[in-house]
Amino acid sequence: MTSTFHSIETARRSLFTQTAALNTTGHNIANANTEGYTRQRVNMTASIPIEAYGLSNSTVPGQMGTGVEFGSIDRIRETFLDDQYRGENSSLGAWTIQSDTLDKLEAIFQEPSDTGLSTVLDNFWKSWSDLSKNPEDSTSRKIVVQTTESLADALNYMSRQLDNLDTDLASNIAVKGTEVQGYLSSIADLNSSIFKIESMGDKANDLRDQRDMLTDKLSKIANISVVQGQYGYNISLGSQALVQGAAVSATVDSAFLNSAFSSGDLKSGEVFGMISSSQTYLADYKKQLNNIANTIATGDMDVTLPKGSVLPEGTVLTSDATITKADGSTATVTAGTAFPQGSTLNADVKITVKGMNGLHQLGYTLDGTLNPGKPLFTISGDGSEITAGNITFNSEIAADTNLLATSLRTSGSGTSEAVVKGNNTLALLMANQQSGSFTSPTTGIKATAGTFYKTMVGQLGIQSQEATRQTENSNYLVEQVNARRQSVSGVSLDEEMSNMLVFQRAYSAAARFMTTYDEMLDKLINSTGTVGR
Amino acid sequence: MLRVTSNMMNAQLMLNLNRNARNMNDTQLQLATGRKINKPSDDPVGITYSLRYRADLSANEQYQENVDDATSWLEFNDTVLTQAGSIVQRLRELSVQGASGTNPQQALDSINSEVKQLKEQLIDIANSQFKGKYIFNGQQYTEQPYQFSTGADGTLDSSGASSVITDDGLLNYTVGESVQLPINVTGNQVFGGSESDNIFAIIDSISAALASGNTGAVSSQIANLDTRNDKMLAIQADIGAKSNRIELMSNRLSDLEVNLTDLQSKTEDGDYAELLTQSKTQENIYNASLSVGAKIIQSSLVDFIR
Repeated sequence: MTSTFHSIETARRSLFTQTAALNTTGHNIANANTEGYTRQRVNMTASIPIEAYGLSNSTVPGQMGTGVEFGSIDRIRETFLDDQYRGENSSLGAWTIQSDTLDKLEAIFQEPSDTGLSTVLDNFWKSWSDLSKNPEDSTSRKIVVQTTESLADALNYMSRQLDNLDTDLASNIAVKGTEVQGYLSSIADLNSSIFKIESMGDKANDLRDQRDMLTDKLSKIANISVVQGQYGYNISLGSQALVQGAAVSATVDSAFLNSAFSSGDLKSGEVFGMISSSQTYLADYKKQLNNIANTIATGDMDVTLPKGSVLPEGTVLTSDATITKADGSTATVTAGTAFPQGSTLNADVKITVKGMNGLHQLGYTLDGTLNPGKPLFTISGDGSEITAGNITFNSEIAADTNLLATSLRTSGSGTSEAVVKGNNTLALLMANQQSGSFTSPTTGIKATAGTFYKTMVGQLGIQSQEATRQTENSNYLVEQVNARRQSVSGVSLDEEMSNMLVFQRAYSAAARFMTTYDEMLDKLINSTGTVGR
Repeated sequence: MLRVTSNMMNAQLMLNLNRNARNMNDTQLQLATGRKINKPSDDPVGITYSLRYRADLSANEQYQENVDDATSWLEFNDTVLTQAGSIVQRLRELSVQGASGTNPQQALDSINSEVKQLKEQLIDIANSQFKGKYIFNGQQYTEQPYQFSTGADGTLDSSGASSVITDDGLLNYTVGESVQLPINVTGNQVFGGSESDNIFAIIDSISAALASGNTGAVSSQIANLDTRNDKMLAIQADIGAKSNRIELMSNRLSDLEVNLTDLQSKTEDGDYAELLTQSKTQENIYNASLSVGAKIIQSSLVDFIR
């Protein structure tokens, strides 16, 4: 048996429910452009009928419906797509940073251009060739000084730029660490709020949206994995737990991230991109550049000293050489022993010298002494090995251009022995090293100076091209997955508009139903039993 | 069925617009620089070739400079030798004249004074400088080879000219990759060293013979003059041959330069016709996506519900 006002209650429930649905539609529309927002749907169900089975069951047939009510307001979202999105987002983060670093490296190397190292190197060789034509000329000597200084400067500059880039990356890693820490504490807070709200049986839709969005952002920075636990999201980086429910279980700073990188927990994401850029690309190019500097200055190279050359006293050759001594007798100087003063080579001799430095020390300078040349390149500051960062043009030579060695000949003997200024043998040998091979002291690879550099630039080009392509691919994949996510969770205004009409109409109809029932009751209450009045 | 929301369309549109804009930007950079390789990643293989061509061109440029310098050296040598040759010719004429027994001593004296002048002239030539270098003194070109003190009478005491030993060092110029060419000849080669046909010794003998009226002794030097002249002509021919070789070298270097520049251009330079067409196409695509975008964003059901 239903009550008299049963249907008024039914109409009321309908009005309430449709209002809730309209409100939710309004909420969806309002958040159509909110980042991370998931559309919500009011879950309507027919309310429980009044007739339950039992002894007091009425004899009226059928169960009388009691109208509508909403069980919950749901988020429409697919977890699978979230996982997929976060994986791709991590890759995108890593490749974006790596491609960015390689872009910057390309800017540092500046090739092809008229200002890159290759041009500086070419000018260096040219100036030696020029000097070979006028070995006594102070202008040609000044030019060699300039080009040699430019070569050292260019290497120093590039090395400094690489260091700066490395420093930038290191400080960016620290900044990202702070950012991650911020996200982690927000997620832990959200975990606890969501847990509290949902224990009461409600659904914390908007808070969940926020938590998902923060998790998405986190996924771009590092390859996190997310597990839904009893107290909310448990987030970890490889084997390291970051968030467990309401607790943040790690202090994320650059030390933490670096050790996660070396332990293999950090595999992807922006921070991975930064650390691997620094440890892989930058370290490698720095090494190669150092190698180029060191090889040009001190790498083994074979040169042939022509017959008739006079070497400074005490020069030690790596091969046996037959000589004519100052007194006219012939002798053999064995490899490793000192060259006697004033002796002349009887035949061409092929020897190995330690780079441009070694070659330069074989010749005579024009400062009026019979001293051999000094090393062309020296180390500024500390260090036992020449690097791109510490290579400098010998400051003594820079101060006195006569200290550039060009000659392999003296005239006279004893105290009247003097350097023949017009002899250009050494200058020619120096200039010819443009096409001569150097053996790298570190890698043992034998090639011309230009080839070492060319190989490096080529490698950079390939890596940068690959990184750009991977970034584009990742970006495409992220957009693709995001589109699928939007397809499920995004707010469609068209859909909301049609829903709005549906709910509005339903509300109006429920109101009309209430009016109709009211009119029925009016008839019953006010117009019944008034016969004869 | 895939639900399509307005945000999805916006995101897709942005993605495409961005991609089109980036393509346009790439093409425009190539158009602006005229180069298809602007950084190593544009063409990693091309860049290694490009760097090689650049280095080769730079070396080639240097070789060409060296060739030019060598050419002017050789030309100067040639000129100087021609001058020396004409002096030797004149000496021969005078010797023939002086060898005749019909000349009175007075005539022999005037011949002798011309001979002496010719010697001075020849010493001047032997001390020729090119770009500040004494060309007949080998690698000791900073020093004057035929240097004499001034005698009591204020003239040069050139009696030692015949015993001067010039430096025999060669001046080597690089005129191609591992091609070296000596460009100088030494004073002793040209004017004679300790041989009997040292030009200065010949002149001294002629002069002495003329002064003493010994016409027979004058005549006996004519054969020496002839061998010296032959030697000088041979040296001049050698210089000519070197000049020819250098000219060939120079032609080869210019050919190589053209080839290298051509290769460099093929590797580095953009094709304007292609780039312009591409740029136009990309501009059209971009405009089309903009106008489509404007239409997509406009309309939704909101616009049609009153």
